[in-house]
Amino acid sequence: MKHKQNATELLKTSLGVLKMKTPISVASGTFDLETLEFYDQNCLGAFVCKTITREPKKGNTPPRLYETEAGLINSIGLQNPGLDMFIKENLPRYRDVLAVPLIVSFSGSSIDEFCRMLEILEAQDGISGYEINISCPNVENEGIAFGTQADVVHKLVSRLKPITKRELCIKLSPNVTDIAQIAKAAEDGGATSLALINSLYGMAIDYETGMSRVKMGVGGYTGIGIKPVALALTYKTAQAVSIPIVAMGGIYDWKDALEFIWAGASAIALGTAHFVNPLAAPEVMMGLGEYILGKGLSIKDIRGACRFS
Amino acid sequence: MTKPQYRQRSIVQREELSDSYFILWIWDEDMGAMCKPGQFYEIRALAVFEDAPTSVSIPRLFKPISIYDNQGGRIGFMIKRVGLGTNALSKLKAGDTLELIGPAGNGFPIFRDRKILLISGGAGYPPFWYLQKQLIGHNKVYWIHGGASQGDIFPCDEMWTEDGSIGRKGRACDDLEKTLKEREIDLIYSCGPFGLLKEASRISEIYDIEHYCSLEAYMACGIGVCHGCTVPIGSKENWDYLRVCKEGPVFSAKEIRWEIM
Repeated sequence: MKHKQNATELLKTSLGVLKMKTPISVASGTFDLETLEFYDQNCLGAFVCKTITREPKKGNTPPRLYETEAGLINSIGLQNPGLDMFIKENLPRYRDVLAVPLIVSFSGSSIDEFCRMLEILEAQDGISGYEINISCPNVENEGIAFGTQADVVHKLVSRLKPITKRELCIKLSPNVTDIAQIAKAAEDGGATSLALINSLYGMAIDYETGMSRVKMGVGGYTGIGIKPVALALTYKTAQAVSIPIVAMGGIYDWKDALEFIWAGASAIALGTAHFVNPLAAPEVMMGLGEYILGKGLSIKDIRGACRFS
Repeated sequence: MTKPQYRQRSIVQREELSDSYFILWIWDEDMGAMCKPGQFYEIRALAVFEDAPTSVSIPRLFKPISIYDNQGGRIGFMIKRVGLGTNALSKLKAGDTLELIGPAGNGFPIFRDRKILLISGGAGYPPFWYLQKQLIGHNKVYWIHGGASQGDIFPCDEMWTEDGSIGRKGRACDDLEKTLKEREIDLIYSCGPFGLLKEASRISEIYDIEHYCSLEAYMACGIGVCHGCTVPIGSKENWDYLRVCKEGPVFSAKEIRWEIM
């Protein structure tokens, strides 16, 4: 399909409910208003905040970071001020500053708590959608505890769906036997989109002393090293569901972004990339823009069109 | 406080100090007007990655480096080679480009008419060079610096080396109590290895002397986003993990929960 439109038109994409001006989103916990000091936010199609929980969370015992040969291990443990403080302090700032849709990422410790949090957030203006984090590898009772069993995912999403008409994006873990099965359960439950992948499990040890590099031992592995895994899981998921996918995992530049769109993603998110290139988002937009203009293809044309012969 | 900004700047001069220490100088009057002692920049070598063959071109994180000097915009970063990132920085020469994010962090509180002790160890030296320039003239300042060997020692009032190759043999805090009494110290700034800061904090608590520590931490973002660099700060009963890059790197010694670090 050949287009004569400008890049602005060709870069448009959409999730289930949410229209995005560009296919570029950000991975929860790697990006905040501080990053937006570096460039014009309009290169983003959506802004995802750091995951919040019902009560404040202190986070994991440091050290929490280690940079491996290829990518980063983190063990933050969802440190956040809790839902009430988020609504009181963070949300007004987001409303003031953001010109792009805000997606609130949150996690709960029971299905009832997820529902209660969603009800509270529904009463707030300035939120375009939710990322339901059922995949954080660094906390015990929230996060991944909900994301590894298809029946639990189905039950959770079915309970959340009637509460909101906003974007309901379920963030999936790669640390499962069959991501397609979990994805299908989320879709059947009423998810309007999926975000994947959250961090892989990862670990690093000081070979000399035997000391674990992060205090908690096993952490979440992100960045350039996980890209092939993330790409494969994006492809598998896209084959299994028909709802849109926000893909992430080791995307550092526009070429990486394109690979994920070919594999079936409607949008991509940058995460660890922000830490190695603060200008990653505008650079990805420029690169994607030049590519699609040159080829005369839109994001929608490319999505899921990867070839095998 | 100025929000950290992203810049690319050429290195105007490179200075060799010892086998493991060097200084990179850049020039930017705006940045010079923004920063203060104790703040740092996240820096990275731009050229190395562009020139590198594909096999080694995996981009690395920025490294937090404190401001060593600021002469009206002539900003110096005194760096010790420790790992991959600082080794890449050590290969830079005048004309190469640095990527910088900053100024970041809170910086040291500045006082007048005090009897001040600066105590630094190893790579804890650089931020004190910038700090003492603002303290001298308004305060009495005495600076103790220690390191493993001669190559870790730079100008100060009292030198210590673990191998005894220059100055006194031992560690920077070995004679600390005596110095505090003799010089009637009423304010301490410390920067350096964990052991030094912890010991200096133990002693300052005993003598009830106001004490500010500049802490070091592994960082990813350097701007308060990722919560990777946190340390426990507060009272024994009520503390939180605060970010070295944003609420720090300078904390009041009595608020640092050393017992759980």
